[in-house]
Amino acid sequence: MDKIARIDMGAAGGPKVTVGDLGEYAGLGGRAMTSLMVAAEVHPLAHPLGAENKLVISPGMLSGTTGSMTGRLSVGCKSPLTGTIKESNAGGQAAQVLARLGYAAVVLEGKPEGDDLYKIVINKDGIQVIVDNSLKLMDNYPLVAKLRQEYGDKVAYMTIGSAGERKLLAASIACTDPELRPTRHCGRGGVGAVMGAKRVKAIIIDDAGMKMRPPKDPEKYRDANRKFVEGLRKHPVTGEGLPAYGTNVLTNVLNEAGGYPTNNFKSGQFADSAKLSGETQAALEIQRGGSATHGCHRGCVIQCSGIYNDKDGNYVTKQPEYETVWSHGGHCGISNLDTVAKLDYMDDNIGVDTIEMGVTIGVAMDAGLAEFGDDAAAIRLMEEVEKGTPLGRVLGSGAAITGKVFGVERVPVVKDQALPAYDPRAVQGIGVTYATTTQGADHTAGYAIATNILKVGGDVDPLKTEGQIELSRNLQIATAAIDSTGMCLFIAFAIMDQPETFQALLDMLGSFHGITMTGDDVVALGKKVLSAERDFNTRAGFTKHHDRLPRFFYNEPIAPHNQTFMMKDEELDEVFNW
Amino acid sequence: MKNERKTNLILNMDQDQLGDFFPLLQKGVTVEAHVGCSLELLLTHQWQIPAEYAAQRITTIFLNSRPIDSLATAIINEDAVIALSGAMPGLVGATMRRGGYYAAMREGITHHATNGNVVDRNATVRVKLFNLLLPELGPGFLQRGIIIPAGELSRFFNGKSEHFWQGCRSALLDNFPILPHLLSREDLFPDQSTVRLSVNFPNS
Repeated sequence: MDKIARIDMGAAGGPKVTVGDLGEYAGLGGRAMTSLMVAAEVHPLAHPLGAENKLVISPGMLSGTTGSMTGRLSVGCKSPLTGTIKESNAGGQAAQVLARLGYAAVVLEGKPEGDDLYKIVINKDGIQVIVDNSLKLMDNYPLVAKLRQEYGDKVAYMTIGSAGERKLLAASIACTDPELRPTRHCGRGGVGAVMGAKRVKAIIIDDAGMKMRPPKDPEKYRDANRKFVEGLRKHPVTGEGLPAYGTNVLTNVLNEAGGYPTNNFKSGQFADSAKLSGETQAALEIQRGGSATHGCHRGCVIQCSGIYNDKDGNYVTKQPEYETVWSHGGHCGISNLDTVAKLDYMDDNIGVDTIEMGVTIGVAMDAGLAEFGDDAAAIRLMEEVEKGTPLGRVLGSGAAITGKVFGVERVPVVKDQALPAYDPRAVQGIGVTYATTTQGADHTAGYAIATNILKVGGDVDPLKTEGQIELSRNLQIATAAIDSTGMCLFIAFAIMDQPETFQALLDMLGSFHGITMTGDDVVALGKKVLSAERDFNTRAGFTKHHDRLPRFFYNEPIAPHNQTFMMKDEELDEVFNW
Repeated sequence: MKNERKTNLILNMDQDQLGDFFPLLQKGVTVEAHVGCSLELLLTHQWQIPAEYAAQRITTIFLNSRPIDSLATAIINEDAVIALSGAMPGLVGATMRRGGYYAAMREGITHHATNGNVVDRNATVRVKLFNLLLPELGPGFLQRGIIIPAGELSRFFNGKSEHFWQGCRSALLDNFPILPHLLSREDLFPDQSTVRLSVNFPNS
């Protein structure tokens, strides 16, 4: 990855492609690349859908190599949903293919005049930007099917559905999986709307004629990767739990803990949670001839995804993840997995974030647009988004907008981004991250990344309550670093519990780039990324007063533990003091 | 423990049908137990779960919806609800781990030992099994017997496929053989009664 492509969509005479060297961005990838570039090059007060914003697409530092789990792609910009800096990442094939073509980043800049819609073709011969108005308002599944007729099956596609073209704030960017289904999404923050604003409908990435990226020390890299894979396979989470049940294995546990937000955060337990659990879902998938074990990109050894079929054995969607099953399920009082699967398909097809849409429908139910537990009504509301009706445009713009339009008080958002599937009143520590992350409410912003091994900020006594601020800080630093590597976050458990697996990861990074990598280097990278993001947000007008949860979390105790969120504002303000 | 009369039902099933009982086990089943002891004694002595397995495999445990960190100090009351889980993904999965590094993040709901008087007696508790523990511990609980309301058992049997009944090799109702298919009759068990169901699998 030795070059950056900049595509000025608003250039006089039509889009203009410039390919240059890495310059100050040398050695970066993933979130480090997207956030440092956006922070440096985008005016913090730019309109997110205007010409001043940039959409930065970057594979991780190890993407395109023979390394396992290296297939995450980061997309960054100023978010139209939150107004903050945004990094949204996804699996699928795009990161591997783009990296093998040598691009550390592809940057969409400017904004074209007129209504023409474009597709971008990237291959070993260069980059073409082509007008293709036949793609207008197509949704992702038919869109990819049409593109496959022209570009075939040995490429990766990044696309937006009708939601992105309509610049809805929940719009995502789809990346195709190994079977060329548009199922892996850069979902959060409305990045699809930014791509739509630049009138780019599809990016076709073809690495024909290219080879795997060679490490500086091939033998050491191969050895480190072998140890890394062994570590993943022997750990009960990455080697057993996730492959068997996927992320939805969390439903039963969160419900038991009283941290499963139900009926728009009115309760912490859902009576029918067992009908939605990962255990139930996996059994149903296998019974119907689908699969409970499937990788979202080649080179994945965890295989946490699956294939969800209908009762007649026909493909419906990929295995809905925990967040999706929650947002469209218990959050809306819905307990039918077939309904959740249909809504997951609609999310992927229209091109919207499943968390944002599910939470929005729950808020709409609180507004009286439907009853909690009404499956058909939930689907009807999604159809409004699909058709682009005025109501659909409101819903597709997320929970915060929907709450304002319909006068709902209980709107679970931070910086206008919907909360994920863990009630912060039950799990106070995750509330700290929800409140303070640079990204708006995001459960993956402070993931369980080996902070015990990294010793970020020194030793923490994790059993002391006051350590929660420090834990959240350390988790956010470590996560920012891992998001830069292209590694899937699910490696977290193996590297947290097995020091030798963590060392194997460091050795992979070091031997690939010909350097010695230490835990301190990982921490330094994470701090650098977070500092740039915080600085951008400050310049965009965000203050400590935006680092708060909605008031209802402080005022409304939640069953069964009857707790409120109790972290003090002054404590939250300490998270980024390092 | 209430002394109401229970119908006893024993099923001998093929191994393939174990998964059919998972919905019951993850939702929770009532089992007999000697309460007033620690969770550690309940697991390792009464339920004969090897201590090493309990330490390494049952990494997440909830007692009355509260995650516990110490098996030794968690005391079991009558009607306690005990949920057992293997290792979980996600930050919250790591947070819920017994004695885990991130336990502070859920301090507000953590179970803490109390000094209240707990009567040492035979009673019932409710057990839930999740994820990897379903196939590993489920057969043992089913073999020892679960107590289930007649209505719930009828609903369970009513939804079963022909494949399930083919896998049911024999059934004993209060020690009398009964054709397995007849178990799906809604009038088989008295209203409001409870059934003590034991299920044997070839390898359990």
